[in-house]
Amino acid sequence: MSRVKVFFNSSVNSKIVASLAGLGLVGFVIFHMLGNLQVFEGSDAINGYASILRDMPILLWTARVGLLAVAGVHVGLTLRLALRNRQARSVAYAARRYRFASVASRTMALTGSLLLMFIIFHLLHLTAGVIDPPALDGLDAQGRIDVYGKIVHAFSNPLYVGIYVAGQLVLGLHLSHAVSSVFQTWGIEHAALDHLFKLAGPGVALFVVLGNLAIIFAVFLGLLRT
Amino acid sequence: MKFTLRIWRQGGPNERGGFVTYLADEVSPDMSFLEMLDALNQRLIAAGEEPVAFEHDCREGICGSCSLVIDGVPHGPDRGVTTCQLYMRRFADEKTITIEPWRAKAFPIIKDLVVDRRALDRIMQAGGYISVNTGGAVDGNTLLIGKDEAETAMDAASCIGCGACVAACKNASAMLFVAAKVSHLAMLPQGKPERTRRVMAMVQAMEREGFGSCGNQYECEAVCPKHVSVRFIAMLNREYLRSGILGTKIPARSDPPHGESY
Repeated sequence: MSRVKVFFNSSVNSKIVASLAGLGLVGFVIFHMLGNLQVFEGSDAINGYASILRDMPILLWTARVGLLAVAGVHVGLTLRLALRNRQARSVAYAARRYRFASVASRTMALTGSLLLMFIIFHLLHLTAGVIDPPALDGLDAQGRIDVYGKIVHAFSNPLYVGIYVAGQLVLGLHLSHAVSSVFQTWGIEHAALDHLFKLAGPGVALFVVLGNLAIIFAVFLGLLRT
Repeated sequence: MKFTLRIWRQGGPNERGGFVTYLADEVSPDMSFLEMLDALNQRLIAAGEEPVAFEHDCREGICGSCSLVIDGVPHGPDRGVTTCQLYMRRFADEKTITIEPWRAKAFPIIKDLVVDRRALDRIMQAGGYISVNTGGAVDGNTLLIGKDEAETAMDAASCIGCGACVAACKNASAMLFVAAKVSHLAMLPQGKPERTRRVMAMVQAMEREGFGSCGNQYECEAVCPKHVSVRFIAMLNREYLRSGILGTKIPARSDPPHGESY
């Protein structure tokens, strides 16, 4: 067996690498949410922000390829772990009662899969514009891509609001268990600080989800309009 | 008291199993769960039927033999006790109780409720030992161990190896068991010589047996009859990282430096 295979045959190693990749993705969703909050500063701010990102194609594409690789590592390793975990109990219990395990912790594979589907949908929808593009050419007065217009167009539609709100709930569930787990997986535990580590997951999840929901509902309720 | 028991019956390792319903009446509230099963078995034997096979030994909560998933919880509804320490007064009268064996690929069923837990022994053989020189007993105060370390090591050492952690885990992971054994020995000076290679060897043995991985759900701690804390799993992960960094050995020469040619 190659060294890489031996290394990843250990579930502990796989989990450490998967959690590092996952933490990278957590960093991205926070950055993504904070960046998008500029929509509240008006169309000029958010369109300018988007054009700054697009003005640096090397940086943008490095970030995109890097994110894709990190996501690939995270999905690949966790999928492998999840499949091995399924095999570890071939016959299920007839009666099953959980005493402690949270809903979020028990549904990580499910929320992860749903999240992946949501991300693919989101990329096709708001990044690539394959799904439901706005009727106009999608450029603002200064000839920049009209991100503001795209956001307002998307979230004026109850169908997309529903999909995105559902996506945020799934993201929140996934993050709330994921971020707290990282400490344990890396062997960081402390008699007093463990409470903070446990709160870190729901805290980060709430922060990201509330930020994103603010944008969705601000448009839907007509606070932001073209 | 009167109970309806749904018990998993399986003739042998490769036979098909299924639930069989039995009626247990004239149960005293002061009977332990195993005594209730004993009474049922006496009746089955008298009727010429095959008694229900289940494991038991000390019946005082220290040997780790008894198992049983009772209504979906390993060792039943009470916390911090083994099945033998569970009393029938804990159940509502005329209740239906479902009794299943530990379910894990690494714990194949031998018969009825008895599973083969030798996978845990093989993990112990891989690294759950220390090297000591034989001879006269060493003076008690030669090795000084801090009170806190001794207590924490004892908390880990209180694991009786029953396998409830595996049975409770959604992923049938043995991490709490391995964590208890690794932490116990890593904390004491007697365990230091093998500290670095022990954790590697035991985790490797754990993976080989087909246990799942830890999902940080802490269901194991919730059912552990000895309250072994999941903080030991963090300690195991730490020991594993440490060992990954320190474990790279200086390659051994093929010829002993001071050896004469044989």
